[in-house]
Amino acid sequence: MTPQNKIFAAPLGLLMTAVVLGSGPVQAAALESGKEYMAVTNYPNNVHVLDLDSDTLIKSCQLPDAFGPGTLQMAPDKHTAYILNNHYEDIYGVDLDSCELVFHAKMSQAPNERTKTLFSFAVSPDGKELYAVQNPTELHRDHYRVQPPRLAVYDTAAGLDAKPVRTFEAPRQVTVMQTGADGSLYMVGPDVYKMNVETGEREVAIPSRNWQRPNYTPPDVLSVWPIQTATRDFTFMYTTARFQDETQNLETADWLWGYMNINLDTGETETRDFGPITEVYFTGTRSPKDPNLMFGVLNRLTKYDVEKQELIQAAELDHSYYCIAINGAGDKVYLAGTFNDVAIYDADSLEKIGNIELPGGDMAITSSQIFVR
Amino acid sequence: MLKRRRLPHALSLLSVAMLAASVNAQAQGDAETVMAQTCAACHSSDKEGQYTRIDNQRKTPEGWLMTIARMQVMHGLKISDEDRRTVVKYLADRQGLAPDETEGSRYALERRLNTLETFDSQQFTETCARCHSGARVELQRRPAEEWEHLVHFHLGQWPSLEYQALSRDRDWLPLALNEMVPELAAQLPLETDAWTKWQLADKPQPAGQWRLAGHMPGRGSMSGVMSVEAQGKDVYSLNFEGRYADGTPINGKGQAIVYTGYEWRGDLEIDGTPMRQVFALAGGRLEGRMFETLHDEVGFDISGARIDSGEQALLALQPSFLKSGESAELTLVGTGLGGQPDFGDGVEVEEVLASSATEMRVRVKVADGASGVREVRIGDSDTQSLSLYDRIDSVRVVPDYSVSRIGGNGSSTPKVYGLFDAEAWSAGADGETGTADDYRIGVVPATWRVEPFDERAAEDEDVRFAGTMDAATGRFTPGAAGPNPERRMSTNNAGNLKVIAEVADGERTLSGSGQMIVTVQRWNNPPIP
Ligand code: HEC
Ligand code: HEC
Repeated sequence: MTPQNKIFAAPLGLLMTAVVLGSGPVQAAALESGKEYMAVTNYPNNVHVLDLDSDTLIKSCQLPDAFGPGTLQMAPDKHTAYILNNHYEDIYGVDLDSCELVFHAKMSQAPNERTKTLFSFAVSPDGKELYAVQNPTELHRDHYRVQPPRLAVYDTAAGLDAKPVRTFEAPRQVTVMQTGADGSLYMVGPDVYKMNVETGEREVAIPSRNWQRPNYTPPDVLSVWPIQTATRDFTFMYTTARFQDETQNLETADWLWGYMNINLDTGETETRDFGPITEVYFTGTRSPKDPNLMFGVLNRLTKYDVEKQELIQAAELDHSYYCIAINGAGDKVYLAGTFNDVAIYDADSLEKIGNIELPGGDMAITSSQIFVR
Repeated sequence: MLKRRRLPHALSLLSVAMLAASVNAQAQGDAETVMAQTCAACHSSDKEGQYTRIDNQRKTPEGWLMTIARMQVMHGLKISDEDRRTVVKYLADRQGLAPDETEGSRYALERRLNTLETFDSQQFTETCARCHSGARVELQRRPAEEWEHLVHFHLGQWPSLEYQALSRDRDWLPLALNEMVPELAAQLPLETDAWTKWQLADKPQPAGQWRLAGHMPGRGSMSGVMSVEAQGKDVYSLNFEGRYADGTPINGKGQAIVYTGYEWRGDLEIDGTPMRQVFALAGGRLEGRMFETLHDEVGFDISGARIDSGEQALLALQPSFLKSGESAELTLVGTGLGGQPDFGDGVEVEEVLASSATEMRVRVKVADGASGVREVRIGDSDTQSLSLYDRIDSVRVVPDYSVSRIGGNGSSTPKVYGLFDAEAWSAGADGETGTADDYRIGVVPATWRVEPFDERAAEDEDVRFAGTMDAATGRFTPGAAGPNPERRMSTNNAGNLKVIAEVADGERTLSGSGQMIVTVQRWNNPPIP
C-alpha cells in the first residue's frame, strides 16, 4: 500500500537460467477449462490469477527482472500471459498453469540501443505471433539519437531469446494495440491504424487527431490499458469539446466523454460521445450484457446511459483505481491498479461486494485481464 | 485532480549549497587536469584540450552543476565534490552568460518559485516550459546542433514525453526538431556580442564594504552593511551586520564565490539560520536575493551598493509611503548620502534626526491632501518611490497566486511555507479602483486568514487539513506529508485556499485575497527549477 513497496531489489541471476519461476503462496495448479479468471501483475514481480467464481486468489507466479509497467495480454488459448516489464524494455510470456517462463523478448536489438515499448503489444488471433511497437534510442558515447519506431513481429514459439522475424516502420506515439479476427493489427496512435502484419501497410481505421467531426475539437486519447473484453470489443475513451456553432467558442462548448470502439471479430468501428465531462477517468468499458451501459473509473466508479448521454449512477471508492474490467456475465465490475487490492462491485447496484488483497505491492498502472479458460 | 495524483518519485542529489564557497576554488590548471581525467572518457575530441559537447555550450554555474550531476547520475561519471566544484567554476568562468544574457530569467537562479512565467512564443511555452521553468532554457546558449542533441536527449531519456498532454496532440518530435531547434538557436545562440564584450569588460570588484537594503514578505524591511574580504581568487569571506526596520538586529558571517566575474553566490549563517545569497554584481551595485537554505521561499529581496565607490546611491526608503496631513519618521538607506533629500511637492523635512553617508533619518510633514507617487533622490542618486495617500482604496495580496507544499512527517522534504504581503493601493485621482491611475501605496500590516477557494475545497475541508495561517504575520504553514486517514479517500493534506488579508485604515476595514494551492512535495528540487 505504501510507496516504499516500489523499492525492491531486482532478482538478478535468476533471469534466463531458471525456467521454473517460484510459485506463490497457493499451490500452482492448472487452470480449469470453462472457468473464468483474472490475471493481474503487481510489485515487486508477481502475476496473480484470481478465480472469479469464488473471487479468491488461486495462484501467484513470480516474474524475472524489474517490474513496470506490468501490462498484460492473454494469449488466445488463455494459457500464456504476455507481460511487458523490466521498465518497458522486455516482454515475457508466462504459462499460467506451471508458472513457467515460456517466452522472452528484449525490445532492444543492439548493444548501444535502449528500446522501450509503451504498452503497445498484442498477440495474433492464432497465438503464433506477438507484435510490439518499439521506440529505440541509440546511446552514443556523448549523445543520444532517437530512432524511428518499428513494429517488431515475434514468433511466440521462439523461447527465451526471441528475435523479431519481421520488422516494419511504425508511427510514433502508439499506445495500446489489439488484433482482429482477420489478423489485422489495430494500433492506437495519432489516429487508430489497421496494419497488415505481413506487408506493414497500414490504413486509418478510426480517425482521431484527424477526425472531421464538424464543430468538435480533436479528441484527446490516452489509453495505456489494453483491456481485452468478453465481447471482443476494443474500447478506449476520448475527451473532446463540442462547439455550439461555427463561431467555435470554447467558452460555451460542451465538454464530452466518448469512446472509440473496434469490434475485433467484425472489424466494425464506432466513435461515440457518451456523456458530459464531470470528472476524470483512466479507463472505461461497456457492459457485455447491455452495450448501452458504459462504466468509467478513477476516483469514482460511474455508469452512463450511452444513448441518453447521461450519468446514471456513481459509487464512491475507498481509493483511486485505474483499471476496470467486467466479467463475461456482466454482473460484476472489477477494479484494479493503484494499490494492491482488487475491488469488486455489483454492476447493477454499484454496491461493493468484495475485495481481494494481493500479496506484494502496488499494481500501479498494470492492466488486469478477465478471461475464460 | 491535482491533489490525487501520485507524482513520480525522483531524487535530486543537488542543491545550490554545492555552489557556495566551502573550500577554495582551485586554479584553472586543476580544472583542465580533472576534465582530462574524467570528462575525456566520453567527450574527448581529435584536438587536444578540446571536448565534444562541453565546448559548445554556455550556461550559469547552476546550469553547469546540473549538467555534471547528470553525468554522475545517468552516465556513471565518477568525480569528487571538490573536483566538481573546480570544473563548475572553470566552465562557468570560461563558458558562462554575460550579465545581460541572464536578465529576465534571474528569478530562477534566485529561487523565486512562485513566479508565473509568460513567453511570447506559445510553441516555446508548450514544448519547453511545461515540465521545468522556461528560464532553465533561457539561461543557456547553444548552436543549433547542441539544441538538437538536447531534444534527442529528452525524448531518449523520457520516451513517455511524446505521449503526455501538450505532446500527444501533435507530432512532437518533428516539431521540436524542425521548429523549436531553429527558434532556440536564433534566440539563444552560442556566440553573442554580449558575451564577447563581457569577456573583455572590467569586472566588478567584490572586496570592500557594501550597503544592503532588503525586504522579506511577512517580516518587513531591513538594512545593513556587508563587509567583504578576498580569501583567494574569486573567493571571499563576508560579514553582515544590520537591523530590521523595527530595530531587531540581524547579523551573520559566511563565504562567497564569484563566478563569471559577477555571479555572487554566498553561503552564510544569519542568527543561527543558514542562508544563501544569489546576487548579480554590476559595477558598484548588486541585486538579488538572500534566502534560507532549507526554506528558499523565506527570503529577502536585496539591493546593494559599494560604500567606497564614491557614488551616491539611494537603495530604499523605509517606510516608502506616508499619509497626508501627518508627520512621520523616514529612513533613507544608501551610500554617499548627505545634503538635503528632495521629496518633491507637499513633503517638508521638519528635522534631520541623524545623518551619515549610509543612512539618514528625517522627520517629514506631509501636506494635507498631498497624494500620488514622488520620486525621491539625494544629490545625483537614483530615485526611490514615495507614495503619499489619504486613504487606502483597495488591498492586494502578494503573491496573488502561489504554491505551498506539505512536508515533514518523516518525508525527505521540509514543508514549503506560504508567505504573503498585503499591499495597500490608492484609487488615484479619479477615485475609482481598477483604473490606470491607481497607484501602489505599500506593504501594510494585515490580519490574515484562509478560506476554501471553491466548493470542492469546502466539501473536502481543505481549510481544516491543508495547514494553518498565522493571523499576524501572514505566514502559512502547510500540513504534514503523507496520506491522512481522516480525509476522504485518505488523501494527503493538499488544498485549494483563498488567502485573505484584512487591513484597517482608520475606521474602515478593507480586504484583499489571493489563491494558494497547497500541494505535494517537490520530489525533485534541482538548482534551476
Ligand atoms: C560515462 C560517459 C560520460 C562522462 C564520463 C561524461 N559524460 Fe557528459 N555526456 C555523456 C552522454 C552519454 C551525454 C549525452 C546525454 C546527455 O545529455 O545526458 C553527455 C552530455 C554532456 C553534455 C551536454 C548536455 C546537454 O545538456 O546537452 C555536457 C555539457 C557534458 N556531457 C559535460 C560533461 C562534463 C563536464 C563531464 C566531466 C566532468 C562529462 N560530461 C563526463 C556521457 C559522459
Ligand atoms: C517531459 C518534461 C520535459 C520537457 C517537455 C522538456 N524538458 Fe528539459 N528537462 C527535463 C528534465 C526532467 C530535465 C533534467 C535532466 C537532469 O536531471 O539533469 C531537463 C533538463 C533540461 C535542461 C538542462 C540540461 C543541461 O544539462 O544543461 C535544459 C537546457 C532543458 N531541459 C531544455 C529543454 C528544452 C529546450 C525543451 C523543449 C525542446 C525541454 N527542455 C522540454 C524535462 C523536460
